[in-house]
Amino acid sequence: MIYKGKQKIWSDYQKDIPDDHWFYVRSCIRQSFFPASEKYFLKICRDLLGKDVYETEHHTTCGGIAYHSDTIPQETAMTIVARQFALMKEAGYKNLVTSCITSFGNYTEIIETWREFPELEAKIRENLWKACRREFDIPEYVAHASDLIFKFRDEIGSMAKYHLVDGITGEPLRVVEHIGCHYSKMFPHKGFGGAEYPCVLSGMIDSWGGQVIDYPERRHCCGFGFRQYLVKANRGYSVSNTHKKFESMEPYHPDMIITNCPGCPYFLDRWQYVISEMEGKTYGQNGYGIPVFTYEEVAGLVLGFDPWDLGLQIHQVAVEPLLEKIGIPYNPKTKYLGLDGKEIMKPGLPTVLKCC
Amino acid sequence: MKDNIVIIGGGIAGMEAAHQLLLLGYKPILVEKSDHLGGHVADWHKLFPDMSPAKDAVRDLAEKIKEANIFLETEVSFINRLKNGYNVMFTNGVNVICKAILLATGFELFEASKKEEYGYGIYNQVMTNSDLERWFNTRKDKRLDGKDIRKVGFVHCVGSRDIKAGNPQCSKVCCITAIKQAMEVKEFFPDAEVYCFYMDLRLFGKKYEDFYIKAQMESGVHFIRGRVSEVSENINGQVIVKTEDTLSGKPAKITLDLLVLMSGIVCNQQAVKTASMVQVQTDSDGFLKSKDNILNIIETGSKGVFLAGTATGPKTVPETVAEARAAALAIHNYLVSLQ
Amino acid sequence: MGRLYDELCKDYRFKEGLKTCINCGTCTAICPAAEFYRYDPRKIVDTVQRKDDAEIEALLKSDTIWYCGECMSCVTRCPRKNGPGLVIMALRNLSIKMGYFTESEKGRQIYPLTKALNGNVLNYGYCVHPATFAYSDHPESGPVFEWVLNNKEDVYGRLGANYQGKGPGVLRHIPQEDLDELKAIYDVTGGTERLELVEKYSKAKAEEMGMSIEEYTAYTFNHISPGHFNNEQ
Repeated sequence: MIYKGKQKIWSDYQKDIPDDHWFYVRSCIRQSFFPASEKYFLKICRDLLGKDVYETEHHTTCGGIAYHSDTIPQETAMTIVARQFALMKEAGYKNLVTSCITSFGNYTEIIETWREFPELEAKIRENLWKACRREFDIPEYVAHASDLIFKFRDEIGSMAKYHLVDGITGEPLRVVEHIGCHYSKMFPHKGFGGAEYPCVLSGMIDSWGGQVIDYPERRHCCGFGFRQYLVKANRGYSVSNTHKKFESMEPYHPDMIITNCPGCPYFLDRWQYVISEMEGKTYGQNGYGIPVFTYEEVAGLVLGFDPWDLGLQIHQVAVEPLLEKIGIPYNPKTKYLGLDGKEIMKPGLPTVLKCC
Repeated sequence: MKDNIVIIGGGIAGMEAAHQLLLLGYKPILVEKSDHLGGHVADWHKLFPDMSPAKDAVRDLAEKIKEANIFLETEVSFINRLKNGYNVMFTNGVNVICKAILLATGFELFEASKKEEYGYGIYNQVMTNSDLERWFNTRKDKRLDGKDIRKVGFVHCVGSRDIKAGNPQCSKVCCITAIKQAMEVKEFFPDAEVYCFYMDLRLFGKKYEDFYIKAQMESGVHFIRGRVSEVSENINGQVIVKTEDTLSGKPAKITLDLLVLMSGIVCNQQAVKTASMVQVQTDSDGFLKSKDNILNIIETGSKGVFLAGTATGPKTVPETVAEARAAALAIHNYLVSLQ
Repeated sequence: MGRLYDELCKDYRFKEGLKTCINCGTCTAICPAAEFYRYDPRKIVDTVQRKDDAEIEALLKSDTIWYCGECMSCVTRCPRKNGPGLVIMALRNLSIKMGYFTESEKGRQIYPLTKALNGNVLNYGYCVHPATFAYSDHPESGPVFEWVLNNKEDVYGRLGANYQGKGPGVLRHIPQEDLDELKAIYDVTGGTERLELVEKYSKAKAEEMGMSIEEYTAYTFNHISPGHFNNEQ
């Protein structure tokens, strides 16, 4: 591997991200499966970095999952997006930041399609007005939330209490980064580092002390496939693709996986559980799995926030072995507490995958 | 005193044109930016279809143009149009007034690192056709020296027939070169499995199909009809290629010890700048624009400015030589007509 | 040109997705679906490019067009700037509009998908929501998530969500006037029409198959026949 080659590519695909004043739109999947991630994204941006990231309660899904599952016509998807833009205009913002990668791809694709086919944009304007008397402007800038964290990775690094290193030996952790397909596969120039060697996550890992692992199936889709997961009969596709990635990364013995799409960490996490049940195989050390994180969770960990406040307890693959390796303290007793420290029954354990 | 003729470019086209012009009694000025004559061919090993040594071709031509005014390591800094000719200034301080200019500026190889998914400059065992040809001459390249090479792949159409790479055209000579190099690699590594990954095999020239037949029958080269989609590296440093075997309709993944990218032919960008000094534009395919693409490739829209060789597009060596001769004759006829 | 091909040409995803295909196979090489399913995006684009309506109709009625996972990896690599994934979206859209989707096993799955996702969008404002995510439909979500679903208010509350609460926040309650605007958008843009169309064709198919609509929903969601995967005999 010739690192300089990658660096040259990264320099060809830089984005000039605005510094401040963002309109935030939430993610269907991230809210459901990684709720604390969104909370900590806002906390880091607002409280630690002093940025203005605004959220209106009136915003909704962008419809991306429904759109890519072929359950709504393109015009419906575009008009839902137009409504989001209208809310943004109403609130006085020009920069859109999305929590979800499919959203980012969706907004980007729709804006590009309108640019190429202005008559379609005109139609959607008409639709939106007819439906809810709203008017919209096209955002000046659309970014994904991981782009912002990438932009401020050095500031976060300078405030970091922990780094992505072995707490005892000081060796950098071996980190696999997984980029959501809809981040840059359709429009490589809209992603940091382009489509082949995106650097939005590897930049964070480098800044926070870790070592990025390149493995043959790095660019491969995690296998969500929308309908290929959402319909039970199709899940063989989804688990097969994730399985392919794990088989490919196994010889490199990664310590952790970091992702920027909200769906990917869900799949990379849960399919490890399913593979262990189906085949008895685990990919981590000693029967554990390889812990999978969102970039907000990793940012929160290096900044020293409590792992359970970051929501790591609702992953299936246990994070404790990694926390111990880094030297991040955690309290096993508070892991499965409910609201206000309430004691609630703990979850069951899988039969093969070792969990804490 | 015969008129001055400036030939820009000391490759095969420039050299052959100089040769013919010398025979016609002129003393052309040949300017070349590198330190040697022969252009790209000077770096090559063997030329199809007869596997003639490239060095011999260059040396023979150089012998024939000893009497010309040759400026090596020199470039054109400026060209001024005069009433009846051109004032050409060179970077060596020489100033020439000439009546005719021949743009024999040649080509550039497509920069393979731009095709990011092929990993040139990122994965160790990926090289280009040019790197391999150099290895045939020098036998020095850490991708091959001392390595156990058991499986080699050739990727056709790198930077050619590719809108995303900025070059939708076919580079013409890469297919025959790939087959030639595949057979040469087999000679060095007789036990190796050699694969050519192609979309179409463009073997239009004299005895080219014989190469293909020989490659299949004698060298045992495997031909897989599928464009390489992605190259990655495994933990042993081998490269993994993803393609579709379109003839059987199945995706395929092949692990190789060495991958050779057939980089395509694109227009020399510096040439575009020099050409614009004499109001010669580029055609829609990025190469220098001829007066007419059928009957008059060697003339341009500018009086007294001529073209020869790969400056107008991909070509073989014999085609380049033929054009250079045509250009020399056209220049001669032009100069005669001025009297 | 055939009627079906002309319909495809109206879809903007088709306009973006099919310029000219040279059958190089770069898309199939990288396609996650091609590896596991009996699926080849190159062949599909080549078929459509031929503009033969009979072949296109066969495609629209087949399982083939439903194997794609819409990852768009094909869009990145195509040297002619095509997008098989986009062509697939246009084909699926047409298959649904024409009612052909009920002719294939994978196509029939559009019914449970459409109901579940649009139900979530119109009732909760998001495509996926814990309130409708049944563990029994998703045992792969694991024992920890089963625990989360059984203790939603506690777990989401502890993690700082505003679970079904007023104002901004994670998993907040979306005000009814906003959900009404979404419904209006569906009405104006053909979304509601699409839901009704899917309902109509699926009900007819359920009847033909001798099932109640509830049985049909469960059947299409759960059932897989042999013959979809490459590694089967």
